[in-house]
Amino acid sequence: MNKDNKITDRKVIETEVTMGTVHSAAIEPYRVRLFVEDEMVRDAEITIGINHRGVERIMEGLPVEKANSLTEKICGICSNSHIWNSCLVAEKAIGIDVPERAQYIRVIMEELERLHSHMLYLAHGNEVLGHETFAMRLFYIRETVMELLRMIGGNRVQYGASIIGGVRPRCELDEMRIQKIREGMDLTEEKITEFAERFVSDPMIMSRITGVGTLTQKMAIRLDASGPTLRSTGVEKDLRTVMEAYDPFEFDVITQDDGDVKSNLLVRVFEIFEAIKIIRQALNNLPDGKITNRSWEMQDAPITKSYIEVPRGTLYHSYALEDGRVRNSIVRTPSVANIGAMQYAAVGHHITDAQLAIVQCDPCFTCTDRAIQIIKI
Amino acid sequence: MSLKSYSRARAVHVMLVYTGGCNGCDIEIVNCIFSPKYDAEQYKVFLTWNPREADVLVVTGPVTKHNEKPLIEIYNAIPEPKAVIAAGACALMGGVYKNIHGDIPSEEIAGPVDNIIPVDAKVPGCAVRPEDILSGVVAALPLLLDAK
Repeated sequence: MNKDNKITDRKVIETEVTMGTVHSAAIEPYRVRLFVEDEMVRDAEITIGINHRGVERIMEGLPVEKANSLTEKICGICSNSHIWNSCLVAEKAIGIDVPERAQYIRVIMEELERLHSHMLYLAHGNEVLGHETFAMRLFYIRETVMELLRMIGGNRVQYGASIIGGVRPRCELDEMRIQKIREGMDLTEEKITEFAERFVSDPMIMSRITGVGTLTQKMAIRLDASGPTLRSTGVEKDLRTVMEAYDPFEFDVITQDDGDVKSNLLVRVFEIFEAIKIIRQALNNLPDGKITNRSWEMQDAPITKSYIEVPRGTLYHSYALEDGRVRNSIVRTPSVANIGAMQYAAVGHHITDAQLAIVQCDPCFTCTDRAIQIIKI
Repeated sequence: MSLKSYSRARAVHVMLVYTGGCNGCDIEIVNCIFSPKYDAEQYKVFLTWNPREADVLVVTGPVTKHNEKPLIEIYNAIPEPKAVIAAGACALMGGVYKNIHGDIPSEEIAGPVDNIIPVDAKVPGCAVRPEDILSGVVAALPLLLDAK
């Protein structure tokens, strides 16, 4: 699709540049074909599917508790989101009440995960730009959050806090843990403010990321992008405002106007401050009580759906229950639509900015590889 | 020590290949070398993305069918002497993805790394801890330094 919507001249010479399956500028394996004329990109095509492992096929027929524990291994960066949504499907299907203290602890774990995921995105974006010092400093600030996750959950990367009916008994918060979380939040807020002030006042970095990889608001709505990728084009839509677990908390929905790499980076920096605000509200008003509800009975249920908001967009899980086992499960991650939208964002810019324009939507290719059935074009 | 092993001990380059796992071990390895808390760069261990200038190859993830040929080509492109480290539960025995319900093998996985290229050091964990990766690299170094 040409930028001016005209029919291309047959005598134009186009070269095809392939950034192949394993490339030095990309951590995960995927393939991009760029059609280039005079060093400007005219068309782009992204191919995924190299990481397909068949997780939905393994989940078919497993007992419910084991299937929930397996969905955590789909992705290592957003692991808490998958297991929370999977437990929500079972609780909605059978009708189990979750105690209030467990809901607050689940929200605290999800916001801690949002912190470490956004800091990892900022560090990787700086490494693609070539600025290694900023990347090393961001990895150092991120270590505070990883130590807090190890203290509560038991492991740095896959911690599995939620179970059906509440939270695991190990994740109980007593006085010493609450004090450590407060200290960690103060330290993180101070260091990220320092980083943001230095980043914004550097003219070389700002001139490299302003106006690069622009995605217009009309194209973003038409392609069903979600999460910070959609909010950076000016649309104010956040699923956390209608979720039941986030009712007692107050926070703002962050938007920016341009849809380029600078807007994407700034949306995530401001979301870090909002997440710290939510964690502090949760610690101040933590209610008393038990954290697990063990008085429920297994029943059969038809297919139940659940949507929540994760650091990258909208996540969807669904399955049916039969005799205590899982049937017909489907998982759909937000990166499917976001990666498709990036094919339009790279068009019309220099070829050396192509990798930056694709990475700006924070893609997680390993969450995405699933068999897709096209119903309507 | 001869001149070759003296200079090889002063700059060890590590290359990371990711063959289809969950990304967890991957981020911990980048953390181990880039982050100032675990700081492998003070021992002159650097991270590179080019196989022609690498000495040590670190492989994570169960090898999926689409990733088998690229892995063999990368292994052949690294010049001698070289060492291979397999990190994580997926690279050692296939992780949770190898079998469907007991003994039925999955059709997407081409086996753990041992079936495809020869392995010198094995590091367990899910996900691998950064301290264990440093021990793994140190255990594989004598192969490089004693070669002719």
